[in-house]
Amino acid sequence: MSDKLFLHGKPIEGFEEVHEHISPVSSYMKVFGALLVLTALTYAVSYMNLGAASLAVAMFVAVIKATLVCMYFMHLKYDERYHVFVFLSTILFVGIFFTFTLFDLSSRDEINEEQDSFFQRQYAPEAGVSVPVYEVSEHGEGAEHAEGGEAKAEGH
Amino acid sequence: MSDHHPTRPGGSEPHAFLAHHFNTPGQQAGAAKLGMWAFLATEVLMFSGLFLAYFIIRMQYPEMVLGAHEYLNKTAGGINTVVLITSSVTMALAVRSAQVGDTPAIKRYLLMTIGFAFVFMVVKYFEYSAKIEHGMLPGKFYSAHEHGYDIPGLPHIFFAIYFCMTGLHGIHVLVGIGVLTWVYLRANKGHFGPSYYTPVENVGLYWHLVDLIWIFLFPLLYLVK
Repeated sequence: MSDKLFLHGKPIEGFEEVHEHISPVSSYMKVFGALLVLTALTYAVSYMNLGAASLAVAMFVAVIKATLVCMYFMHLKYDERYHVFVFLSTILFVGIFFTFTLFDLSSRDEINEEQDSFFQRQYAPEAGVSVPVYEVSEHGEGAEHAEGGEAKAEGH
Repeated sequence: MSDHHPTRPGGSEPHAFLAHHFNTPGQQAGAAKLGMWAFLATEVLMFSGLFLAYFIIRMQYPEMVLGAHEYLNKTAGGINTVVLITSSVTMALAVRSAQVGDTPAIKRYLLMTIGFAFVFMVVKYFEYSAKIEHGMLPGKFYSAHEHGYDIPGLPHIFFAIYFCMTGLHGIHVLVGIGVLTWVYLRANKGHFGPSYYTPVENVGLYWHLVDLIWIFLFPLLYLVK
């Protein structure tokens, strides 16, 4: 082992020991209390009729609880910043995953409609085919051909 | 363990567990912790798929989800939330005891954490048995209507996501019991002290993540209106 260790060109002192911030027991107890209060709050909120806002409120409280656990129990507050970066970039990618998928789902009806009318304008009149009508039944069993037999034979 | 750093009896000696490819205990601890955070990232991503599935189901069948979630036992879910949060505190205190070098306290807090994990699984067992008994099961196994429960819509989809999410989380709790026991056995041998407590800390990080996931699962599955 060398006598001197360098990190980013600077010598580091005391590399023989593990340097970690040691939180006092009282700080863990405070976080514990806060988590219990927030759990009770989530529970109480679910009995109020907040309608559409209840999901937002529940998620907001859950995010506060998660932040407390990450910062104090998982030591991210005192840890190397790089671990915070790893964790937050994970959350960022989860966000991208959620946003794009939900965006796709919520805009899909519109696109399907556009596709259908495009098909109708372009091919249906001349070809004399009946355009398949996709119906999503109440039970969500997916696309059902109402009168699509002919078009299927022609097109695909 | 290399020849340069043999394991000494009473491993609280400074470099008893320093692998030969690391220069300092701090470097080794830092590398292990970064690896743990990378693993936790993959865990978050794995669960995010299930959370997204939940949100999609909720978006497609809002009334069915609201109707079916009433059949989950809120009290059991609430008790389990408190149990997991408490176990997270005892885990954090176990890590702190390792940092200050108090081995009896590490063992005590680890045993408490393992105990709470078992309480969680026992509550889960009663919840699952009730669901199975009432036929509130995923997909083709759903038979609640035969047991006199008329849940409108497609509740078998809700129970599919319920069992997937709580099931995967439950597997994590079981794995947690396993690794906590391993850390307890090592603590029992006196392996941990202020200069080496990486396993305690990393198992702690894992356990806090299991708690974190439950913090989101509980309101989404049990409470949300």
